[in-house]
Amino acid sequence: MQERDLDRRPDPDALLALAGKETRGRLWVFLGAAPGVGKTYAMLARARALKRDGVDVVVGLVETHGRAETAALIEGLEVLPRRAIEYRGQTIEEFDIDAALARRPKLIIVDELAHTNAPDSRHPKRWQDVEELLDAHIDVWTALNIQHIESLADVVSRITGVAVRETVPDTVLRDAADIVLVDITSDELIQRLKEGKVYLPETARLAQQNFFTIGNLTALRELALRRTAARVDDQMVDYLRQHAIEGPWETSERLLVCVGPDALSEAVVRTASRLATGLNASWVAVTVQQPGREETDPAKAKRVEDALRLAERLGGETERLVGQDLPAEVLQFAQRENITQIVIGRSRASLWAKLMGRSLSSAIVRRSKNIGVHVVIGGSDRDEPAARQWRWLRLSGLPVGALAAVASVAVAVGLGYGLDVWLHLPNLSMIFLTAVLFCAVQFGLRSAVVAAVLSFFAYDFFFIDPRYEFTIQEPQEFFALLIFLVVAVFTGLLAGRARDQAQNVRDNARTTQSIYELSRKLSGAAALDDILLAATIYMHRTLGARCIVMMLPEDGELNLSVAWPPIDELDPGETSAARWAFDKGEPAGWRTGTLPNVRFQFRPLVTTRGVGGVCGIEPADPNATISPERERALNLILEQTAIAIDRSLLVKDSVKTAALEENEKLRTTLLSSLSHDLRTPLASITGAVTTLRQFGETMAPAQRADLLASIEEEAARLMRFVANLLDMSRIEAGALKPKRDYVDVAEVARAAVERARKVFPGQPVTTSLARDLPLIRGDANLLEQVLFNLLDNAQKYGGGAGVVVHARRLGVDVQISVTDEGEGVKPTDLERIFEKFYQGGRSDGRKAGTGLGLSIARGLIEAMGGTIHAESPAARRRGTRIVIQLPGAAAPAAAQENA
Amino acid sequence: MTGLRVLVVDDEPQILRFLRPALEASGYEVLHAAAGREALRLIANSAPDIIVLDLGLPDMDGKEVLVEARKFTAAPILVLSARDREAEKIAALDLGADDYVEKPFAIGELLARLRSALRHRGGGEAQPMHVEVDGLAIDMDKRRVTKSGAAVKLTPKEYDLLCILARHAGRVVTHGQILTSVWGPAHKDDTQYLRVFIGQLRAKIESDPAAPTIIRTEAGIGYRFSEE
Repeated sequence: MQERDLDRRPDPDALLALAGKETRGRLWVFLGAAPGVGKTYAMLARARALKRDGVDVVVGLVETHGRAETAALIEGLEVLPRRAIEYRGQTIEEFDIDAALARRPKLIIVDELAHTNAPDSRHPKRWQDVEELLDAHIDVWTALNIQHIESLADVVSRITGVAVRETVPDTVLRDAADIVLVDITSDELIQRLKEGKVYLPETARLAQQNFFTIGNLTALRELALRRTAARVDDQMVDYLRQHAIEGPWETSERLLVCVGPDALSEAVVRTASRLATGLNASWVAVTVQQPGREETDPAKAKRVEDALRLAERLGGETERLVGQDLPAEVLQFAQRENITQIVIGRSRASLWAKLMGRSLSSAIVRRSKNIGVHVVIGGSDRDEPAARQWRWLRLSGLPVGALAAVASVAVAVGLGYGLDVWLHLPNLSMIFLTAVLFCAVQFGLRSAVVAAVLSFFAYDFFFIDPRYEFTIQEPQEFFALLIFLVVAVFTGLLAGRARDQAQNVRDNARTTQSIYELSRKLSGAAALDDILLAATIYMHRTLGARCIVMMLPEDGELNLSVAWPPIDELDPGETSAARWAFDKGEPAGWRTGTLPNVRFQFRPLVTTRGVGGVCGIEPADPNATISPERERALNLILEQTAIAIDRSLLVKDSVKTAALEENEKLRTTLLSSLSHDLRTPLASITGAVTTLRQFGETMAPAQRADLLASIEEEAARLMRFVANLLDMSRIEAGALKPKRDYVDVAEVARAAVERARKVFPGQPVTTSLARDLPLIRGDANLLEQVLFNLLDNAQKYGGGAGVVVHARRLGVDVQISVTDEGEGVKPTDLERIFEKFYQGGRSDGRKAGTGLGLSIARGLIEAMGGTIHAESPAARRRGTRIVIQLPGAAAPAAAQENA
Repeated sequence: MTGLRVLVVDDEPQILRFLRPALEASGYEVLHAAAGREALRLIANSAPDIIVLDLGLPDMDGKEVLVEARKFTAAPILVLSARDREAEKIAALDLGADDYVEKPFAIGELLARLRSALRHRGGGEAQPMHVEVDGLAIDMDKRRVTKSGAAVKLTPKEYDLLCILARHAGRVVTHGQILTSVWGPAHKDDTQYLRVFIGQLRAKIESDPAAPTIIRTEAGIGYRFSEE
């Protein structure tokens, strides 16, 4: 419910709510006062009409309860198959939500909104299935009896005396597009029951006795009518606001309900919810925590949590405040939030507190200004005091504390006895006070109180005349004893509280310390796996539960990244819960609204780039709850982990970027070196030609000849570059098909050396070719090109010293090597020199070459089935040797005959 | 024009192979250095009248040579560079190079640039007071500009722009140099000013503003005022 104010423009909230309704599917609730009023019938009858009009209507699930009229209506409608579930030897049929989502109709009919699904279903309640359908933009029609509405459940129980277990949160109804009331008179309904139209005869008789009484039915009918009327009223108001019609609807009421650890809280919340509904007001449930006085009793802490959760289900907001002065905190909050009315409970147990002026309700009544206060008096919690006493005895460490109290008082008695005999001290009460203090400091408040009371009696019994009796002779002794008791109790209270607070501080410090440790560990880890492992181990230690993390790799399915203690894999139910948590970004699994029967509870890890993964927690005891402290710690851990994951992803990205940049740099270098290598011969040629043109006539013939020769050489150089580039692109494109001729390696080597001598006249080349070289299968031209490239390199990098071409037989293979005496190649670069565009020395290093020679050589040799590699140093710590090995071929039969 | 010494700094022997006869035929005495350090040593020891410097050298970056050389010589320096290295050319000009020639080049072009650079040699202070080219006359004493005898009206900025170009006639002036000198260092990168003002200037002084002959564009680098 929204706040309402006088505003002539359409209220943005109202319009937004409208827009929200349009993007989701729309829900119609067919509301009835009791079973048998004809909700299903009404729904189906309308559905048939729609179907005739061509609307895509599907029956998701309808319970006919054996009613023939209803069953007849289903005829002709499309009915989705149900999901069969084996449970405890029985087969249960349930609504199949996946089938519904897959079928994706315009409108689906799902009966009995309050139904509880079989265990192992995705959601425990059917209304949650419906919510998911609505999220998927599917319109839903459903039926509901008034008794199943959460806020009315206790009222209905009171009226009918039947406990209502299956409830639907008020929010579902509030967000419904419309409510259709299906109504018949109570008499008519009882008549129908008698005719057997509602239940089978035997059930019907029982039902009539217990539930279907005129009184019950009339009360329920009134509830249903009123609820619908309130709803219609809301719609009217919404309509007025959307259309900016000024109206007398200014309620702007806002309720606050105080929630505490007492048993009354739930009833108070329900009262507030009903009050708010009646007033058309928004409401908020508030609980106040006093620092240093955290609730240590898990049952009480759970009660606060339960009350808050109930408030959420009933459509209220919730708020946790922290402060010492409870009434002040509540009132401050009320001022801030423009609260007009406060609802608060007062249980009878708080009488003592009230006497002490500490009753919250009376303090609030006293101090509130301009705020109405409703005090709900507890009535139904008669079992409370008994339960409290029993708990009191059982509570944390009390047996130990009580024993300690007894023991320390006994010691005090012994000590007092000794002192009394020796010294005749007039007053021994200090000794007992010591015992009380000891218990307070060591075992806490309760033990101290026990010790104080025990001391009181022991002192009286053992040391006050008449001794060994509980009677007191002297009146002043009685007063002394009484004062002792008061002092002992107060001292004990103070010391005990001090101790409890110190304990709390220590606990907090420990939590802080361990969180600090975690964040240090996380910041130390850079790799994703290390982060996840650190986080799961830490979580396991903190929560005492098995923890797993599942991440979504860039391609593929959500999978188990790390688990501690380790497990291998998850069963399908667990996987789908994890998937759900990941997709929706909400918790799923154990103790949640989705697949609660799964072992794990899955929490999404929300990073800045969305849900990065999910974290699963398998509690050691499936029946335990997660305490608020653990919950806080868990949230902190998850946040820290998500941040760390984010960081590691960023690191990964930056590495990727750096690699890209490196690549880009390399590319630029290649381009510039290529352009330099092509341009230099062109510059020489252009320069020489223009010089000849301009000065040719005045030049000496020798000079002219030299220029012409330089043009020829540079043109040849250019041609070699171009040929290399073409070869390279042919190899890369896979267009190079070497011939498979029989080739005499020695002959090819001699030809290559001959060609090299012509091109590099100044370069000494020696050859050493074995005589028994076998023939190889390959392409003589390509092999010559390879050898020439090697010789070209040797001339470039060999530093002018001799180059040796060596060929020998190696088993059935032929090994050819070209060795220079240059500076050699660094061991790390021996492979890299075969990479495309790799050049010895600087990129702009002026060795005229494309950096293609060796990579072309490798491409060609490998195409011929051989291998090529580099060795350096070749001899005497200098030089490079490029070694080619080619498989020998069996000599062709014809050649042998000719020989 | 004889007896002038030109230092060619280039590690490609093939370049020198045609440069040497061409330069000698034009009356220069040719010195040669194949590396940066050798070049600096030669500049210091032999005081060449003009230097032709290839920017790609085996031992150091040509621009470093330029910076070092400018510390002790005022001789014009002509940079050889590839067409695709615009940034390098601009940097070299801003570092003190007088002009540049793109590889590959015709020898005539190089010789013309050498002559132009030499003409301005040492005359940094004694600037021409009167420039006449293609019917355009600039009288810097009287701050008067005429085109084919008729007075041309220029705004002060247009006049400043024309003067800086005319003073460096025959040589390239980079965008940065023009902007710094006419608009101030803060506007060093505001080339859009330049495009507008050059357009206006051309409309006033060029015979055919669509095909300018007096102020030529050196794409990506700057502008060159025509000499003849």
